[in-house]
This record gives sequence, C-alpha cells and structure tokens, in this order.
Amino acid sequence: MKKRIYFILAALIVIIPLGLLSDSPAWGEWGKEYYKKILGYIPYGIAKAKGINAPMKDYSFGSLSDISGYYLSAIVGAVLIFAFFYILTKVLHAKNS
Amino acid sequence: MHIPDGYLSPTVVVATYAVALPLWFFGFKKLKETLNEETLPLIGALSAMSFIIMMLNIPIPGGTSGHAVGAVLIAILFNPWVAFIAISVVLLIQAVIFGDGGISTFAANSLAMGFVGAFVGYYVFRIFKKYKFAPYLAGWSGIVASSFLAALLLGIEPIFWNKNGTPLYFPFGLKETIPALVGAHMLFFGIAEAVFTGLAYGFIHKKKMEIE
Repeated sequence: MKKRIYFILAALIVIIPLGLLSDSPAWGEWGKEYYKKILGYIPYGIAKAKGINAPMKDYSFGSLSDISGYYLSAIVGAVLIFAFFYILTKVLHAKNS
Repeated sequence: MHIPDGYLSPTVVVATYAVALPLWFFGFKKLKETLNEETLPLIGALSAMSFIIMMLNIPIPGGTSGHAVGAVLIAILFNPWVAFIAISVVLLIQAVIFGDGGISTFAANSLAMGFVGAFVGYYVFRIFKKYKFAPYLAGWSGIVASSFLAALLLGIEPIFWNKNGTPLYFPFGLKETIPALVGAHMLFFGIAEAVFTGLAYGFIHKKKMEIE
C-alpha cells in the first residue's frame, strides 16, 4: 500500500517542472502591475497588501534555476507536510500510551 | 484559486475566520481520531500529493492557468474533515513558505478549496457510490464547488466595498468571477481533478481496504 502511494508521489515530483510550462498566472492572482495596466489604478487593498516575506517565494530559491528551485520547493513542501502529520501522530501516540 | 492578501475586505476576512475557526477545531478532533501509525503514511502522502498537484499548473485559453487540488481524494478515502484539515495545512505551508495565497485569506482559501471541495466531493461520491464513475464525478463536483465559493467571495467585493464606485479590494464583480473561475473549473481543472481522483482512487482504494 505504502509502496503504491509513494510511487505516485515520486512520479508526480519527477514531472513537477511541467508545472512551469506556462508562465500565465491563475485568474485573479495577478500582480499589482496588472491592475495598473487594465484598470488604470491599483485597488486600495491590493496596493496596501505587503505580501508575505516567504523564504521560497514563488517556489524558487536564491540563485537556483527555475527548474531546480521548483524541484527543491516540491521536496521541501512534501517533507514539511509529511512532518506535520508525523509529529502529530507521535504526539498523539505518546499521550495515549 | 489561492486568493492573495489584499483581495478581500476586512469584513470578509473576519467573517471567513469566524466560520473557519470552529470548523478547524472540530476537524482537528476528527483528524486526531483517524490518525495513527497505520493511517499516517497514507494521510501524509495524500496531503503531500495535494501540495504537488497544486504545483502542476495547467495553462488554458485566455492567458491564465490553474490546477487540481486533491481534496476530494482524501475526503472519499478517509473523511471530509480529514481532507479539510489536510488541505488547510497545505495552504498554510504554501502561504508561509512559498508566498502562494495569503495570511488574511487563509481562512477563505481553506473554506473554498478545503471544506467546500471536500464535503461536496464526499457527498456526490456517496450518492453515486455504486457506479464506477463516482470518484471522477466527485472530483469534478468538489473542485467546481470550491471555485464557486472563491468566485462568490471575490465577486461581492466591488459590490459592497467601493469608494464612490471605485472598488477598494478585488475589482471584478460576480458577472466576471463566476464565468472566469467556475467556467474554467467546469471545463478544465475539474477534468484534471476528476482524472486525478478517479485514477488515484482506483489505484489506492483496494490496497487501503487491506489495512483496515
């Protein structure tokens, strides 16, 4: 069972650069310049938003190439998410025994 | 569908957190009941998988892109509460580590992609359980429902929060958000979610039964 699911997960990580094929943003997730261009102004709230000071902003990292940064992001994200459930399981187990 | 900071008015931010908090609380309780040494590999891997498929952007006509979510698969393999919490964890990491989505909009995004997607997908699956197409239809319905809530939250912004008609937050109304978001999810990303949910369900389900 574990083998199958880890296999799918690994396969998806291998093909992750396919996610970079398009540099089109998602609808409604444009940058501030987009509003300036389309509307002629940036709505108050959007202009004011500071954005998050994220360590791997836009799934990239430092001077790594787009593809390497995307691979690293996929691995870091997957590991962090797995770690959350792993730690929670250990904490619950410790409490119950 | 990852609504960024600054797109929703403070009223909607507070309202979405007020709705999400008790649901997170209850969902977390449900997750604690489900999570153990046996279910950990599957729940952890499915959540990680959701993160990965959200990185697989699919370009569509019109110069935009989108992705599947993976909430429905967790909802039908475990239960919709587990899916809601799992997607919320994914969204939090996407926001904090990768700057995708937002902090003020974290509740709104969790409700749309997590809660609504998981529960709609789960009940559609239950209704059509007898049929082979059930997980496919569940995946499609779940993500389309998610996009509808996102479109609604964004589309009401210019109606209620504007200054002399100039939108203060997200500037496009329901007439634009519904076709753009819901339409694109019905035609494209819903199909991706359907195929992902259907194939992965078929691949995993039989094996999962053996551990229960």
